[in-house]
Amino acid sequence: MTPAPSKQREMDQEAQSSQSSEAAAKAVLLEECEEQFGLLQKLQNEIILTDTEANDDQSNEAVNRLIAVTSELEQWQEMEPKLLTTSPEVLLAVGKEELQRLNNQLKMVLSCSQAKLDAQKKILKREQTWQAEKKEALNAVCEKITRLQLENEKSEHSVLQDMKRKINNLKDYHSSLMEMLSDMLAEHFPLPDPQGNGTKKKRAAAYDAEMNLISLSEIIERLTNKTLETPHDPYVITDDTFWPPYTEMLLRNGIATRHPEDCNKIRLENFFGI
Amino acid sequence: MALLTPFSKVPELNTATVLLVENEEELQSKLANALVQYKKDFNVNVRLARKLPLPVENKETRPRIDLIVFVVNLLSERSLQSVESSLAHLHSDCFLGKVCFLVTDARCGSHTQERLVSVRKLAASHQSPVLCAEHRTVDGVNAAAVRLLNILKVSAGMSPIATTALYLSSLTRCSVTSDLEED
Repeated sequence: MTPAPSKQREMDQEAQSSQSSEAAAKAVLLEECEEQFGLLQKLQNEIILTDTEANDDQSNEAVNRLIAVTSELEQWQEMEPKLLTTSPEVLLAVGKEELQRLNNQLKMVLSCSQAKLDAQKKILKREQTWQAEKKEALNAVCEKITRLQLENEKSEHSVLQDMKRKINNLKDYHSSLMEMLSDMLAEHFPLPDPQGNGTKKKRAAAYDAEMNLISLSEIIERLTNKTLETPHDPYVITDDTFWPPYTEMLLRNGIATRHPEDCNKIRLENFFGI
Repeated sequence: MALLTPFSKVPELNTATVLLVENEEELQSKLANALVQYKKDFNVNVRLARKLPLPVENKETRPRIDLIVFVVNLLSERSLQSVESSLAHLHSDCFLGKVCFLVTDARCGSHTQERLVSVRKLAASHQSPVLCAEHRTVDGVNAAAVRLLNILKVSAGMSPIATTALYLSSLTRCSVTSDLEED
């Protein structure tokens, strides 16, 4: 099947180039054309013969293709390049035309491949940025995973330790606060000095007689203890051991309030509202 | 059964013949006009048909056909079916580079995508190229005509020596690839 096409093509090419040759060379070419055409007819007859002999067996297309390609390959291997004609004008004209066409085609190919290259570079850049982003995300997630794992690994024992530590810290803080409070109270709110007001007019002796004034810290301590231990009845009875100016001060500054019915009782005011 | 055979006739001088097979006859005439009017070095004979087998009466007067183009309109189901039934009337030697598939309306809607896939599979099984054309504008028809002319040139044997129809079809044959996922 394939020998005929190659000859046909050659002939067609020659037929094409014959249009661009001069009169003298034309004759030569025409002769060659006639020759090739004769060959063509012969081959065509052979083909028709083989066609009618071996009716289309609808064999596998792939097999057909394989046969065709291998026989074409053999043809190309056998074929030797030969000049169309030895006439120089023809060759020159044909050569010029071919080279120009080739030049144009190569220019097109060049620009096309440049464009493709640019497109591919863009794609590459985009993919690289994408990859960088994903890597960052991956790193962040890995870190988080390790952190979570570490936390999960803390056994009960360590939790207990943490708790103990926190409790101790708080106790220390609490005690330091208490110390500071007592220091401050002792410094700024001392017990009234029995001898300080010693003037006969004030009858300070009457005061002293009933002594056992308790200090402000003592008062506050009693108030807080009563509130914490018996929250349903946080009232402390103000007897004579409470120095009245101090109780007045507590009441006026909103640290304590009186019992609504009984004026001798006071309680610690709510702090948590502040 | 009369099959359309590729090499049963002598080719004409400096002429290529193309057969456009289309069931709907929408694109055929436009494409034929574009093919004939385009500026080129060789003559082009365009023959139109709705389906194969071609009527027997013309058999003697019909020249050798260099390229058979099956035009498939992806919007109609019958188009593809008629092409499939026509393929049975082709000699298997025709598939060595003388058959080409042209699809239109490949971008409209979802059914067209499925049909496009089946056309591509069909073309891949016959190792033929698939062209996509846009037939509603003049530019689209002209572009399709130019592409067809290139293929026609090769299958009629008018290209420089090393390019044979078989070689071109091996280069341009349709391959069915799996869809790549876009990220």
